[in-house]
Amino acid sequence: MEFAWTPEQERYRARVQQALDDLLPDDWFTRYAPQGNVSDDQIEHSRVFCPGLAERGLLVPHWPKELGGEDGEPWEQFILAEEMNMAGDPRGPQYMNVNWLGPTLMKYGTEEQKAAHLGPIARGEVTWCQGYSESGAGTDLAALQTHAERRGDVYVINGSKIWTSYARKADWCFLLARTGPERKAISPFLMPMSTPGIEVVSFPGLVCDGHLNEVFLSDVELPASARVGEEGKGWEIVIYALSQERVGIPRYRSGRKILDITVAQLTREGRFDDPIIRARAGRIVAKLEAARLLTYVVVDQRAKGVPPTPDGNICRIAASEAVLELMNFLMDYVPDCLLGGDGILAEFYRANIPTSIASGTYELQLNLIAQGALGLPRS
Amino acid sequence: MDFALNEDQQALVDAVQSIRRPFDALPMAHKRDRSWFAADLQRVLAEGGYLDAARAIGPLEAALIVIEIAQSPCVVETGASALVVPHLPVNEVEGPVALISGDLSRAQRFLPVARAALIDTGDDVLLIAVDPAQVEPVDTIFAYPYGRFRTPPSLDSAQRLGAAALAPLRQWWRVSLAAEIAGAAQAAVAFTVDYVKQRHVFGKPVGVFQAVQHRLAQCHQIARGIRFLALRAAFSGSPLDADLAAAYAQEHVHKLVFDLHQFNGGMGVTNEHELHFWTYRLRALQAEVGGAEKAALAIADQLWGPVTA
Repeated sequence: MEFAWTPEQERYRARVQQALDDLLPDDWFTRYAPQGNVSDDQIEHSRVFCPGLAERGLLVPHWPKELGGEDGEPWEQFILAEEMNMAGDPRGPQYMNVNWLGPTLMKYGTEEQKAAHLGPIARGEVTWCQGYSESGAGTDLAALQTHAERRGDVYVINGSKIWTSYARKADWCFLLARTGPERKAISPFLMPMSTPGIEVVSFPGLVCDGHLNEVFLSDVELPASARVGEEGKGWEIVIYALSQERVGIPRYRSGRKILDITVAQLTREGRFDDPIIRARAGRIVAKLEAARLLTYVVVDQRAKGVPPTPDGNICRIAASEAVLELMNFLMDYVPDCLLGGDGILAEFYRANIPTSIASGTYELQLNLIAQGALGLPRS
Repeated sequence: MDFALNEDQQALVDAVQSIRRPFDALPMAHKRDRSWFAADLQRVLAEGGYLDAARAIGPLEAALIVIEIAQSPCVVETGASALVVPHLPVNEVEGPVALISGDLSRAQRFLPVARAALIDTGDDVLLIAVDPAQVEPVDTIFAYPYGRFRTPPSLDSAQRLGAAALAPLRQWWRVSLAAEIAGAAQAAVAFTVDYVKQRHVFGKPVGVFQAVQHRLAQCHQIARGIRFLALRAAFSGSPLDADLAAAYAQEHVHKLVFDLHQFNGGMGVTNEHELHFWTYRLRALQAEVGGAEKAALAIADQLWGPVTA
């Protein structure tokens, strides 16, 4: 057991920080970051930022060398994720490409699909969105209704997707559609967003602008070669893709930065001498640190090749608890952030409203812990 | 970073578990006690050198021992001897050791069985020998032996460790209480999980209900969080890490005790049901060294500077 970074890991972190210093514009934290990484500005910026990151070997360092990576260790991938999160993740939608989409194609894609997609992803040239959720299928993803009907050499797809972040600007969509009547007869498709029959409609919500998009699919024709894996056997692929994001976004990292910004505002306003506020802030740091260590447990397991364990669910609920405490702190002491005050605080608050819902609800995580870690029966 | 025990650490934990195991089954005569101090286990640990692990191996290993022993329903003084004393400018101190802060007329944890006491006077740390004849036991539901001095002890002959010893005393006291909470919480969750699998209500095991599962899953997460924060604080020797571990551990005692007692129902309020041996140790540790509030304020001081006014 060891709780210290190796000198190599420290150097790696410094290398990532240097790249951020070099690549981010001077007005990143005043103009771009407050808009959130789903904003049109940030998505367009990611098209410049990601190729720069790729040139420095920092876009897909965990990928194999022959595919543009560095055969990097999971710890390096995670250090990279922490530093990106700290900066508001300027990779925009491309964090998905490099973390789970590319690895999923490496494992399940055809040679043709790998040749077409892995290069552009590794070079930071392409943006993808994730066509999973529907209004009747979120946490219960297998309930999705979007349907792909085989007609000779093509599939004709009809249905709709919702909460599709980045859809307005994405070049491609990793789309899930039903290819049979059985509950898990689902297949992924690689769909160009320019395909006729696709309509993207954005709508407003509590989260940052750009997050909420509905994608309508009307007789969208895709060649059979766009399907990933055997027809109707996509559930395994979906589970694999989800498992690539075992620990989720390292929100404890940006959480500390947000807390520092909040404390700075409270200090300027002469309010941070109040012991009630100080103790609240101290307790939040303790919760963020618990989330950090529980996340590192999972990264350590991954680095050692251990199959997924309930620790992946445990770190997610720890992070959700910590972020919720921080959001409550913002609303107790600096609610003006939602009234034209600090834009970075507002963006953090709004972006995290669905934290305990997205990527498997908080309650689903608790079910998995109860059954997987505690051995309690399914209710 | 490496979150798995290495071979030596695993061997140490295995050894402590095998020493502890015979004491996990409470003797019939003590089944209904509010706490049971296992003097034999205390002696075995002391004679085996386990309480000197911080000096002989390292503080992380000492914390592992404290966590393991805290999982037993019996009580042994490990935190002060294994984690606090080795970080103070003293040579060998015969344990058990009571840690005392402030008013000497109050009841103190471990005092009836202590051979020595470390006293935080506010501006100095004093080490005194404790004469058991001068201590009267205090009846309490807290699952530690508590006692108070029959008359306040004379401090004239106390060994004065100096003001410089105050910071390490408080720091390692926080690490030790976080480690004890980690062990007791882990054991109390395991005990409760076992109970809800066996106990039936409305024709089903209590543990089938999602309302129960969710809160037990939260308790499990909390216990895991406390464990790693405590171990990191022992590893790093950082005052901030000690405050983080104590703040997190002490804050979550509320939830742990409430939820775990809820799921043990009426049985949990009886002495013969063992839950209280862990939960009322958690309660006893909840307020030590100022509790979560003071630990959180110490975190704020270190991260953002002291109060300016």
